[in-house]
Amino acid sequence: MNHLSTYLIISALLFSLGLLGILQRRSLIGMLISVELLLNAANLNFMAFNCFLAPDPATGQIIALFVMGLAAAEVAIGLSIILALFRKMHSVNIELAQHLRG
Amino acid sequence: MGEFLKDPVFLATVLGTTLPFFSMAAILILTRSNPGLSSKISLAAISTSAACALYLLVKLHSAPPVQFRTLWFTSGNLNVTFGYYLDSLSLLMLTIVGVISCLVQVYSVGYMAGDPGCSRYYAFQSLFAWAMMNNVIAGNMLQLFVFWELVGLASYFLIGFYYEKWSASQAGKKAFVMNRVGDVGFLLGLIFLLIYFGNLEIPELNHAAATHGMPRGLITVSALLFFCGVIGKSAQFPLLTWLPDAMEGPTPVSALLHSATMVAAGVYMFSRIFPFFSVSPDAMEITLAVGTVTMLLSATMAIVSYDVKAVWAYSTISQLGMMVMALGAGGYFAGVYHLTTHAGFKALLFLCSGIFIHEFHTNDMRIIGRQGGRRLKIPMVCMTIGALALSGVFPFSGFFSKEAILAVLAAHPNKTWVAAGLLGTVFTAYYSFRLIFLILFPEGGIAGKAHGPHADSAQGNEDEHPGYIFWTMAIPVMVLAGATMVLGFVENPLRRFLDRSIQTLAVQYVAGHEGMAGRILILGSCAGLFGIALSWFEFGRKGAGRIGFVGRFPAVWKLFDRRWFLDDFFRKSLDTVVYGGLSRLSVKNDNRVIDGGIDGICHLTEGVGRRLSFLQSGMLQYNLLVMLLGAGAAIILLLV
Repeated sequence: MNHLSTYLIISALLFSLGLLGILQRRSLIGMLISVELLLNAANLNFMAFNCFLAPDPATGQIIALFVMGLAAAEVAIGLSIILALFRKMHSVNIELAQHLRG
Repeated sequence: MGEFLKDPVFLATVLGTTLPFFSMAAILILTRSNPGLSSKISLAAISTSAACALYLLVKLHSAPPVQFRTLWFTSGNLNVTFGYYLDSLSLLMLTIVGVISCLVQVYSVGYMAGDPGCSRYYAFQSLFAWAMMNNVIAGNMLQLFVFWELVGLASYFLIGFYYEKWSASQAGKKAFVMNRVGDVGFLLGLIFLLIYFGNLEIPELNHAAATHGMPRGLITVSALLFFCGVIGKSAQFPLLTWLPDAMEGPTPVSALLHSATMVAAGVYMFSRIFPFFSVSPDAMEITLAVGTVTMLLSATMAIVSYDVKAVWAYSTISQLGMMVMALGAGGYFAGVYHLTTHAGFKALLFLCSGIFIHEFHTNDMRIIGRQGGRRLKIPMVCMTIGALALSGVFPFSGFFSKEAILAVLAAHPNKTWVAAGLLGTVFTAYYSFRLIFLILFPEGGIAGKAHGPHADSAQGNEDEHPGYIFWTMAIPVMVLAGATMVLGFVENPLRRFLDRSIQTLAVQYVAGHEGMAGRILILGSCAGLFGIALSWFEFGRKGAGRIGFVGRFPAVWKLFDRRWFLDDFFRKSLDTVVYGGLSRLSVKNDNRVIDGGIDGICHLTEGVGRRLSFLQSGMLQYNLLVMLLGAGAAIILLLV
């Protein structure tokens, strides 16, 4: 159970789920959550590699912290955009936001 | 540079050849509103120039050629210099230009008095003198070309001086365009020589040609290309029709243009690189033929013209043709000598006719005669002197130079040329005395005697003028008349002087066959006298028909009068080739290719955009999917 590949497989699964969610969910909130899944999959990878391979244990953890901060900022901006969109369309369905169609 | 500044020769050269430029600048910038001051500035500058030129001539008359030069620009391994080359030819020409420009400007004080454009006139006169003087002393073909073009520019300004007159502005344009046609050849010759010889210094050029340092074919081609420039500038066949039209400018301008500056530049350039030309017999033969055709053609045109200035204009072309003939036949001295004497007597003739035109306000010789032209004694006498010189009558200057030319032609193995030269002499004498007799003995006497008031106005005109204006016009005329009588007797000193400039190059040229000289002297004089007698018989004697032998054949008259239809030919070819062909093609090219091309690109972009716009579905997740697939494909590509 204590192998690198275990973590990598979990992380890959997580990433795939996030990808699926972002492509398939029509709700903007759902897509935002899927983005969080993607970021966390990446985070998990960082931590796993850091734990098993890196000589200096601090590097991966710092990057993971960065990613978490980035995710928080991204959620703040994403949510405010969604809110603005909701005020305009009274919906968070991505299919309705097609005004830029060629 | 320091020791140059102490050299009086260098100082005189620089001063003499740049002062007119400063006078032009000063007039155009500062004194445009003050014609009196403008004319004084210009006169002061040009008389200083003339004095410098005379000083140089006296100082250097027995010195070897002097050359000052400095590097102008470098391009690759080509060094072009800018400088002065003072040998006997350029000194002689510099003096002619300086003195005649000075006399013409003095004359213009009277002629242009009261003209609103007087300042402008003097500015352009200065420009003209400056350009021509620098053209003369240029030591480098490129420098010569630059000033050659400036001479053309100045003459364009002056021919079109009365620009509000349609014909004048057209004449200026015609002169400019026809000159450009010739100059294209000149420029091509320069480029050609630059590519294959790589040096444009005049002394080096002459030296290399004379010592067979250049291939024969190269010389022939570039000499012929240079000759195109001469054809344009000196109004040789077929580009000769601009010169008669150039009389649209003020008469002093014509005097200057026809004698020392504009048209002389062409012949001067020919004689400047005469050793270069003389190496190529083919080129010389062609120039000889062109000169002959020009001389005869324009002489026939002069026979039928009633316009005083037009007659002299045609005679200028004819005499230039004669100079080209002389040079083409190898008579370096004869050509340059005739250029010198011609400059004097042609300026004289034009200035005299200017006085008549100023007085009677017409160019028609019959009207001038009828209104009492012969009462203006000074110009009448001077004009007769000029006409005698032009006809080649002893002891006037034209006699000597014409005999020199005829002697050279007689020494040529092909006798056609000398026959043409004699025929030309007859024509020349005939038309010049036709003019003189028509003014002296007008048909039906002087009208003024019959009609009182007319006579009063004609007589009154002379009194009306302030004496000083008449004398500013009369004095230059008398000076030129004096020169015309004297110049003939300096033939031998002048010959020795000029020979030095090409002797060093060991160029063989014809110096007149001694055995032939006596016979040709008699023949030439007889030809001139015969022409005068013929015109006396037809125009001078009591009860003469006053129409001339050409007038009896209307078709021939028309041919001569319409300048052998040369203008019509140019018009037609311009209409068909340039307007009908080139312009139409250019318009088509512009509309179809350039406009069409740009429009086509626009339409293409727009159409493709419309077709492809379906890809932008506005659905965020499709975009994401495509992006993902693309990234996946890229990764696979990188891994495999």
